[in-house]
Amino acid sequence: MNARSKPKIVAKGIQKSFGNVLAMEDVTLSIQEREFVAIIGPSGCGKSTFLYLIAGFEKPSGGELTINGNAITGPGPDRGVVFQEFVLFPWLTVLRNITLGLDIQGVKREEAEARALKWIRLTGLSGFENAYPSTLSGGMKQRVAIARALTYDPEVLLLDEPFGALDVQTKNYMIRDLQDLWQEANRTIVMITHSVSEAVHMADRVVVLSSRPSRVIADVRIDVPHPRDRRNPTMHRYEDEITAILSAEVDKAMSLERQIK
Amino acid sequence: MSAADVAGAKPLSGERAGALLRNIITRSGVIVTLLVLWEVAARLGWINTFLFPAPSNIAATIWTQSGPDGSPPYAIPMHVLRSMIRLLAGIALAVVIGTVLGVLIGMTRWACMLFQPLISIFMPVPTLAWTPVLLLLTGIDDRTTIIVVFIAAVFEVIYTIVAGIEMMNVKLFWVARSMGASRLQIFFRVIIPAIFPYLITGMRLGTGYAWRALIAAEMLAASSFGLGFMIYDASEYMSTNVIYAGIILIAVLGYLLENVLIGRLEAATTEKWGIQSER
Repeated sequence: MNARSKPKIVAKGIQKSFGNVLAMEDVTLSIQEREFVAIIGPSGCGKSTFLYLIAGFEKPSGGELTINGNAITGPGPDRGVVFQEFVLFPWLTVLRNITLGLDIQGVKREEAEARALKWIRLTGLSGFENAYPSTLSGGMKQRVAIARALTYDPEVLLLDEPFGALDVQTKNYMIRDLQDLWQEANRTIVMITHSVSEAVHMADRVVVLSSRPSRVIADVRIDVPHPRDRRNPTMHRYEDEITAILSAEVDKAMSLERQIK
Repeated sequence: MSAADVAGAKPLSGERAGALLRNIITRSGVIVTLLVLWEVAARLGWINTFLFPAPSNIAATIWTQSGPDGSPPYAIPMHVLRSMIRLLAGIALAVVIGTVLGVLIGMTRWACMLFQPLISIFMPVPTLAWTPVLLLLTGIDDRTTIIVVFIAAVFEVIYTIVAGIEMMNVKLFWVARSMGASRLQIFFRVIIPAIFPYLITGMRLGTGYAWRALIAAEMLAASSFGLGFMIYDASEYMSTNVIYAGIILIAVLGYLLENVLIGRLEAATTEKWGIQSER
């Protein structure tokens, strides 16, 4: 078989409420080592929340969430996060943003910069090391955020709608550009997205969450080797299949909102 | 556009320098015109030169009092220096203590509940009103005036820092924590740089209030040095030249402190970082 059969992150019956609102009802999911899993679902289904639970920024209201068999109790350097809004430190240059994780861990400057250089190259940021985030475009900022999350070598990379704040052209460019990156990164990746094509294009597995209160309603393995071509008919089939499941849930979520109004 | 262009445009390109110069000329033009009119009026006897000495006389006074022929010798540099030292000492204290308090109030519930009511009550009290109490407590010397400066500045610093913390994106903390940062690291690497623009604003406002309060305290506290004392002393002897000299120096120094000193600090930091924090 492949080396991915060891479970990395295991969620069992995860529940999450915010006050009176039950966002997640019973999310049960197992993410294997070095798998790229995309989680998709209608708005409000708690997919970002699920990511924050894995990251340790929030705690589940019920159920079990473990990484390497150990319960997740808070954030840590074993899980790197990339946010939709980039969240770069505006007072640091691109290079210093990227080496931040290593600086915090006390790694010496030269070594930190050497390790960062690899990811700077792979994300296409060469030449911009001394720029400040305020001078960068959205696409560039997200590359910095990605390089930053990879440089200090967390076992798991968590992406929260990483291309959501980018325009369509930049997004397509990034997705194409970064395909090699994920191969090179060679680690467990969990990506939240609302774009089916993004999910099918990048992930090994696409998990679909239902509308609120959410549970897992589909788990589709994408069996197409990288690099993937958008025009491949198999890709279209996967996209259609998942879109159909998702649309039904989006309809449900929309009618739920209308009822509440 | 190369990476170098993107990375940092020089702060004073030809165009910006030209605009700056024009700005200075326009602004000083008004003042210069005023001074010229004043001088002319004084020379022609249109105004009472005892109450309004000619600018040339005031300038001459500043000149003599700054040198060995002053009374006491080098009077003006001495008084200016004394006032400046008191101001800087008080501001430094206000920045350190104000920052720590501001961060505590902004980040912890207990500090907020403890200090917020105290600040609300004492902030509106004119700093000067504290001087008599301080005189009794610490007597006539530098300590009183430095504490006056501290009180004047610290409220502004605390206020703006608390506002700065409220404006911070919580995800900045999340990023740091997911990298394994300790609380101390978060304080120095995330909080301090993030609130720095607000700290600068607090410092600017605080310096303004503090400078004014200091001069007044120097006059009130009748300490034997400082610009405020210089004016007070001169009024006892009716040396209007010296009084005006003092006023002009106070105005110029106050302007320089608030705008040039802090302006340079702002340019070096917040403008480079982009005024708003990342959202």
